[in-house]
Amino acid sequence: MGKTSTAPRAAGERALAFFARAGFARVEPPILQPTAPFLDMSGEDLRGRLFLTSGPDGAELCLRPDYTIPVCLAHLGASPAAKETRYSYLGPVFRAPGEFWQTGLESFGRRDIEAADAEILALALEGAEAAGSGPLKVRFGDARLFDEVIGALKLPAYWRRRVRRGLARGAPLSQVLAKSGLTPFSKAGVLAALERSDHDGAKALVQDLLSIAGISTVGGRSPEEIADRFLEQAASRADEGLAPEQTQALQNFLAVEGHPDRAAEALKALARDSVLDISKALCSFEERVGFLAARGLPVDDLSYSAAFVRDLDYYTGFVFEAGTGHGPPVVVGGRYDGLAAKLGAAEATPAIGAAIWLDRLPEAAP
Amino acid sequence: MTLILAVPSKGRLQENANDYFARAGLDIVQGRGARDYRGAIAGLEGVEVAFLSASEIVGQLAAGAAHLGVTGEDLVREHVPDAETRLALLTPLGFGRANVVVAAPQSWIDVRNMADLEDVAAHFRARRGERMRVATKYVNLTRRFFNEHGVTDYRIVESLGATEGAPAAGSAELIVDITTTGATLSANALKIVEDGVILRSEANLVASLKADWSPEVRKTARAILSRLAASEKARRTREVRAFLPAAAKGAVAEAATKFDAHAAPGEDGGSVSFLCPRGRAAELADWLLAKGAERVGVATLEQVFEVPNPLYDALSGKIGANP
Repeated sequence: MGKTSTAPRAAGERALAFFARAGFARVEPPILQPTAPFLDMSGEDLRGRLFLTSGPDGAELCLRPDYTIPVCLAHLGASPAAKETRYSYLGPVFRAPGEFWQTGLESFGRRDIEAADAEILALALEGAEAAGSGPLKVRFGDARLFDEVIGALKLPAYWRRRVRRGLARGAPLSQVLAKSGLTPFSKAGVLAALERSDHDGAKALVQDLLSIAGISTVGGRSPEEIADRFLEQAASRADEGLAPEQTQALQNFLAVEGHPDRAAEALKALARDSVLDISKALCSFEERVGFLAARGLPVDDLSYSAAFVRDLDYYTGFVFEAGTGHGPPVVVGGRYDGLAAKLGAAEATPAIGAAIWLDRLPEAAP
Repeated sequence: MTLILAVPSKGRLQENANDYFARAGLDIVQGRGARDYRGAIAGLEGVEVAFLSASEIVGQLAAGAAHLGVTGEDLVREHVPDAETRLALLTPLGFGRANVVVAAPQSWIDVRNMADLEDVAAHFRARRGERMRVATKYVNLTRRFFNEHGVTDYRIVESLGATEGAPAAGSAELIVDITTTGATLSANALKIVEDGVILRSEANLVASLKADWSPEVRKTARAILSRLAASEKARRTREVRAFLPAAAKGAVAEAATKFDAHAAPGEDGGSVSFLCPRGRAAELADWLLAKGAERVGVATLEQVFEVPNPLYDALSGKIGANP
């Protein structure tokens, strides 16, 4: 806070000029933004880092904590048609403890996913270079591949949710797979009777139970939703753990890391050994590596990590970060195909972007 | 320089706080009328009493604008993120008790504990595409507690009053609120989640670590805290008096060790008096009868001053011995 250095801004202008030449026109969304989209997308943990205020009408507002959501909102406001659009930006973002300068780019609407992935990473790295980053090490992950592996493992619904959520939070697998604290199904007493009933039967039973006990239903969950969750638990015995071969496959998958080509080989071997159908995501993975090489990125210097996933409700595919190896990453980005729809677009819009943290550049450091 | 003591300006919290100080011989006197927001302590120079709401008291203490204050621990934990560096909770006061709890609709018969709630939150979001809403005024406590339990799929709806009505009104799915008996929750068809007690709160005597603790203010603080500690000690202590025959040699010293008591004058035989923990007074009396005393008196005490002053020591441990 109270930083007066102009170095981050000057560095950002060099990157911005580069982005403009690459066809990414500058957009300048307002600093003051509605709070809800940020919290809806990132969750309440972000709240503690937001600078919050309110409008005269009581609307919850914040100083933008990043550019992606403001640029996406501006995009949706400006061009309702989901055509291809490319944006760049430069300015301050606000997160406790203060104000940081960011530049970056966003691409909406490109359907050739893997080529767009490669383009954005390459441009972000070149932009960072123009800003004075020096050589950076790139680490990437793949949320789609991650999701497809979890799906192919055919985990019970409860465990699928728990594993996705836990690993995306960065919790170690052992902790994620530790015995669940759920109320054991056997202890749910009469509800064990649901074990062999169907949707309608379960719903009727839950309704009967509530009315016998004289409990009025308040709040957003209907007896139907409660019944469905019981049915799901009955079907999967959620209070029990994963099968040993499922745990093993998951462990093997999460251990895959390193050179992209060797990682692809390891993933193929895993798919074969554990009989997982992840061919579509694998295909996309290899295609992307091809485009990265074609864009002139030194593939030997890229490192894939299966366990590298961030918020899986936000990122839907390629995710990456690049740094000097010391301190937090300078470049961060990824694909978020679901964002536009969540912010009100009529249909899903392919989207990918990257941000450069200008205060983290070596020359901007105080 | 004056010491600023911030006390609650209304309700039961005010009554209880006034009683607490009065028991220690510190009578809080308000200014010209009930509407005056500044007061003093009768017979004690150098103290200004500020009458504020419990949440204002937290703010004033955290900012260093008051030296000592009475307020709820819930407000401290909610409003002061770096409480350890700004405030010292000197002692709980035994009133203003309430729990901050997670409460869900009773109709959620599949939810007993926080692990259930975590899964329900994820289920809810997967099904609705929206996050489950939690109505509360304890935004920070909720965020920290939910984070500890791995609950991420939720949104906070800030609520400034009648939080317990939010689920019925459809503005939230569940709540985090303060409760004493749980009756209000039940009346609103809500239940407390088993391991969902976030904080067991009560009123505390709180010191500011950011206030200006000049030698003069410290002296005043020591005077106040030593009286408060003395009345607290007196509440936990009984005086036990007896006349022991000369034959009961060694009985006084033995009694002192046996019953965790302090004896005066400490001679064998004759009239002897002990200061003894309240819970052990009857035992000690019986024991003295067995040793030959003919009758034993047990009396309550007004104040017990001691050389170690636990309240002032807690404060000076935090603010340093000298300014």
